[in-house]
Amino acid sequence: MTVSTVTPALPRRAILPLGRHVNELGLVAIILLLYVVFGSISPGFLSANNQVNILRDGSTIGIAAWAQTLVIVAGEIDISVGPMVAFISVIMAFALKDNMPLGLTLGGGLILGALLGSVAGVLRGVFNVPSFVATLGLWSALRGLALFMTNALPVSFADNDTLDWIGDNVFGLPVSAVVMIVLFAIFVFVSRKTAFGRSVYAVGGNANAAHLCGINVTRIRILIFTLSGLMAAVTAIMLLARLGTGNAGAASGLEFDVIAGVVVGGTSLSGGRGSMLGTLLGVLTITVIGDGLVLYGINSFVQDVVRGVIIVAAVLLNVAASRRSGR
Amino acid sequence: MTTTQGAPVAELRGAFRRYPGVVALDGVDFSVQPGEVRAVLGKNGAGKSTLIRLLTGAETPDEGIVLLGGEPFREQGGGRTREATRRGLRAVYQELSLVPSMSIAENMFLGAWRRRGGMLDHAAMVVETHHALHRLGLDLDPHLPVSALSPAARQMVEIARAFLGTPRLVILDEPTSSLAAAEVDQVCSAVRAAADQGVAVLYVSHRMNEIRRLADSATVLRDGRIISTLPVAEARTEDIVQMMLGRVAQAQRVEPRTGGQPLLSVRALSLPPKLANVSFELRAGEVLGIAGLLGSGRTELLESILGLRKPEAGTILVDGASVPRRSYKGMIRRGFGYTPESRKEDGIIPLLGVDENTVITDFRRVDRAGVLSGDAIARATRTIIDRLHVKTAATSTPVVTLSGGNQQKVVIGRWIHARSRILLLDEPTRGVDVEAKRQIYDIIRSLAREGRAILFVSSEIEELDQVCDRVLVLRQGCMAEEHQAPDIDAERLLAACLG
Repeated sequence: MTVSTVTPALPRRAILPLGRHVNELGLVAIILLLYVVFGSISPGFLSANNQVNILRDGSTIGIAAWAQTLVIVAGEIDISVGPMVAFISVIMAFALKDNMPLGLTLGGGLILGALLGSVAGVLRGVFNVPSFVATLGLWSALRGLALFMTNALPVSFADNDTLDWIGDNVFGLPVSAVVMIVLFAIFVFVSRKTAFGRSVYAVGGNANAAHLCGINVTRIRILIFTLSGLMAAVTAIMLLARLGTGNAGAASGLEFDVIAGVVVGGTSLSGGRGSMLGTLLGVLTITVIGDGLVLYGINSFVQDVVRGVIIVAAVLLNVAASRRSGR
Repeated sequence: MTTTQGAPVAELRGAFRRYPGVVALDGVDFSVQPGEVRAVLGKNGAGKSTLIRLLTGAETPDEGIVLLGGEPFREQGGGRTREATRRGLRAVYQELSLVPSMSIAENMFLGAWRRRGGMLDHAAMVVETHHALHRLGLDLDPHLPVSALSPAARQMVEIARAFLGTPRLVILDEPTSSLAAAEVDQVCSAVRAAADQGVAVLYVSHRMNEIRRLADSATVLRDGRIISTLPVAEARTEDIVQMMLGRVAQAQRVEPRTGGQPLLSVRALSLPPKLANVSFELRAGEVLGIAGLLGSGRTELLESILGLRKPEAGTILVDGASVPRRSYKGMIRRGFGYTPESRKEDGIIPLLGVDENTVITDFRRVDRAGVLSGDAIARATRTIIDRLHVKTAATSTPVVTLSGGNQQKVVIGRWIHARSRILLLDEPTRGVDVEAKRQIYDIIRSLAREGRAILFVSSEIEELDQVCDRVLVLRQGCMAEEHQAPDIDAERLLAACLG
């Protein structure tokens, strides 16, 4: 994807406007197919209530997935998302339990997320620890720390009207979904229209060349992980509001869904290629699969199997479609 | 392996190959005899690569047949390349195909391991590698990982691998583009020795002097057709160039200019063991060539100036003021621009468009209050594309789809976008076709006319007189000689490089 608008294509590239979006079109087709299938086999799947559910579940994955897209485009990966969300929600729950004002608590949570993310970023950018290893360390340490601090018990706190509002709906839409959509717009803008966003693509496409062009590669790497941590904190706030308690075991396996959403969305794990729109559709695909299978009522272990198969099939279809369109 | 006696080693009959919108090969009949060294010439896009890919089995012709040793391929699709290898075909491409983390010996036998009793026979592989390298005049330890080798040494290892065992046809696609003269000699003698033993060699190159030294015959391609196959000894270079271009090309000479203010002064720069006491001045409006063989310290010199390496001693002055502690970013801010030797690894960002590859050096010029402007990017890119004659379908076309010459123009163009005053160009014409080379020379001359200072590093000695006002010869890390235009002579330069 590029930011320019001029595309007077050669004859052989005449299908380019469509061809460029073959990935997105394929995902829309997959989502429609899932709606047709689940609409006919899963009772209540098409109800308005369930659409709201899908949006709310989607926001848990989506908010973290926007930042993860930049991380993966830059050729890195952040697998610490789930434990980070749980850890931050536990810390915030403790703060609220000690009657810390809500604004201070949420602000502190966001700062904590950014700091934890930047730890991974510094490990990668400055000390050249592979990002998989750096975030694997965080993954384990944060999960362990949260469980240790809470003894694996939920941390409850006094009711808070504002927090309840965040966990509720506004104009029939979950607040978390609105936050997700607003953040989506911001990330689309950042990834396409700012020097930072384009530098992320450049670093992922060829870090040596980007460095020689004067881009501060270390800074970009630290920033993407900081953003990822920040989005984990936003997700933690949404989770805290929805559950009403801080749970050390919450968001278990979230990183799997986030990364799956990004990859199903067509972002290349080798870096340099990917789009926010693709991730949006990828996240929707993952969420719809999860929701539809629950409503269909099959065994939850079998759900994981089916979900795994559908994810790989979706990526396979996508790769095949991209290849046919000549990319 | 059954072969009809007297049959050509490889043959194409009535081969057509079409891509969407392009006819890459247009009814080509082609054959090579055992022991023949055949040069294949043509501009980029003339059909050389397609012809090679048909022979190696990487592609199948739309019409016509491919014969190896008088017999068609038995396999279809992906099995073809393996079949070609089994039947004695070896190819070395411009793009290297070595595994950097593995040793030279392991790379030499990649996929064709020597085994003894079910186990890998490392000792035998090391010994054979040593002999193969020795034949090319290389004294490298076979245990060294490929990542420790310079680009030229890697290329030599690839060539050594191609001649390993008993090949029947070896295809060398611009094997010498990253090599210095001494290594080219080694490659030439290895090719001749192999030909004397009956190995056929297809030699794709743009360098006429090499072709004259080692090829028996030359096939000239243009627009997917074979224009002529002729004995090299009887062909004049101008005739071959004319066949390649389809029109008469005029060799042009530089009108020498004396520079203005010195923009860059290098004083007593030392980086043992690569550079010793190097001093020179680069003035506004001049093109200063640096001639030197591989390993003479050319790239190290540029990197030391730019702050990418820390020299042991020496002073760098920019605009007459000393810059003691240099950072790469700081040097860019001072007006430097750098195009690295390896375009693919350090130059282009392959998947991004021509536009973003251009404006990447200075986003501030295309950004309005922190927001990148699509219009401004397109306009800035269009300016560079028009000025440098970059052939691209659109400003947003991924740069990786462009030809090598056009990619190089983009890499140079991004520093024009950044308004750099001092350009350090490391081998800007490497792997670029004749016509694009000519255009790059013109671009460099016109940049100098605008008052920029250009340091032009090249191992293709014969191009320096076409673009430089002055040429400094770097020999084993020392400044050996200085030559002034119009008295720059390729033969004397080469002699100076060799010492």
